Amino acid sequence: MDKIVEIQKMIEESNPEPIAQAISDALVDGIAAKDILDAMISSMGVIGDQFSEGEIFIPEMLMAAKAMSVGVNVLKPHLVSNGSSGLGTCIIGTVEGDLHDIGKSLVAMMIESAGFTIVDLGVDVPTSKWLDAIKEHKDVKLIACSALLTTTMPALQETINAIKNSGMNGFGIIVGGASLTQQYAEKIGADGFAEDAGGAAAKALELARLS
Amino acid sequence: MLTRKQNLIETITGGTPDRFVNQFEFMEIIMESPLDTRTNPGELNKNKWGITFSWPVGQLGKFPLHDAEHKVLKDISDWRQYVHAPEIEKSDAAWAAAVAHANRIDRNDQYVAGIILPGIFEMVHNLMGMEQAMMAFCEKPDEMHELIDYIADYELKYAETLVDKIHPDCIFHHDDWGSQKSSFISPAMFKNFFVTPYKRIYDFYKANGVELIVHHSDSYAANLVPHMIDMGIDIWQGVMTTNNTPALIEKYGGQISFMGNIDTGIVDLPDYTPEIALRETEKACRDCGKQYFIPCLTRGMSESSFPGAYEAVSQAIEQMSAEMF
Repeated sequence: MDKIVEIQKMIEESNPEPIAQAISDALVDGIAAKDILDAMISSMGVIGDQFSEGEIFIPEMLMAAKAMSVGVNVLKPHLVSNGSSGLGTCIIGTVEGDLHDIGKSLVAMMIESAGFTIVDLGVDVPTSKWLDAIKEHKDVKLIACSALLTTTMPALQETINAIKNSGMNGFGIIVGGASLTQQYAEKIGADGFAEDAGGAAAKALELARLS
Repeated sequence: MLTRKQNLIETITGGTPDRFVNQFEFMEIIMESPLDTRTNPGELNKNKWGITFSWPVGQLGKFPLHDAEHKVLKDISDWRQYVHAPEIEKSDAAWAAAVAHANRIDRNDQYVAGIILPGIFEMVHNLMGMEQAMMAFCEKPDEMHELIDYIADYELKYAETLVDKIHPDCIFHHDDWGSQKSSFISPAMFKNFFVTPYKRIYDFYKANGVELIVHHSDSYAANLVPHMIDMGIDIWQGVMTTNNTPALIEKYGGQISFMGNIDTGIVDLPDYTPEIALRETEKACRDCGKQYFIPCLTRGMSESSFPGAYEAVSQAIEQMSAEMF
């Protein structure tokens, strides 16, 4: 069990370098891959909370996500579900007209760290591309739409309308971005809103359980 | 009645201003200085550092492109292979418009302001992308220090020419250091990478006739204020309400002044109204008071995205001056 604590510490201290060896050692000692993965996901929750509280900053969060990614790659061959904890697929992007990618990318990393398979459509994503992506990918449980600017808020509304009117279901829609509020998210029909990347991961887990 | 410059000095020194300083009125920004290529709305172009910017029609600003085709700095380990500072334009012809503009200003009434944008932090992530920059601070600190010094050296060379040509009394320096809620990097990391280079730059200006350093960061950056003071910043422009500006004034007034506290995202909207402008301006003026504070939209220029919003705030400030002075 000490080895799991050690691995968690590497994530919570944003230290990716030794994590591959530590996980290999833990597997050799007979610790189940799924137990290691669950512990790592729990540590990313700690990272998300610390980020939301202003205790850590973007570099530390990215390094923790990198540690998580390195660790998952080591675990993948040992996991029945091939690296995911079975939460399904999250399709993420910024809506048409919005070229800001840092917030979206941070959210993608945190949601991936929480156990989702990420399909990142990038920035400036037209409505048709969102719909195509939902059709193309299996087990879509979450759509995450980002709009940083007040001027792209109408595009967010259009994207959600198109997804809701498409007849496709089985997933939740989460929105985020500097200009948005919980009230606005509810007004445009989103299922969830988060103020930052840490909150997004928590909300993603909540929605995945509901959908 | 004090001149605009005198009123600014009274405000930032804790004296007795006779009205609120009204947004950017105390400085005249010399936009004609040949610093770099501009990207206008609807354009996609490359600047002198090779960074490609896109400004989509109908959007509020330009964005650097960081896909594989457009990213300038592809590997921080080999940054010298990718990053090449442009030549600094020194010809009289290139500076003629800037010099003429500066010469038209009554320096007893206003500061002649040289403008620098982007700053060092923004230049770093414009070159390599935000995520790569953020991780390189952790993984390749030596190379990041080298790159930052290289950019600072360029800024200093440009500063020599700027001082020589227009003799600025003020420097208005842009560099966004945070989001609405947080600084991008920790205060410790900020100190490690940015305080010394900025001190070099601001010390140079102060030693060469510049009286006032105004730094723009329309963000949260309350945790960086001690470092701003250390750098030599006189006024932080762009301070958002998320910083608890009255508390900053209470704690740091006399060492630095704060310009903003009227959030662009609340006032500068397509459906802005004079009533919203007055409501937010009155709150800013009453909360922050008359000393060490300049009411201003947080945007880093004397304009608004939507016509009329900037002027509505200016009128509201006049009204608050009439009521409070």
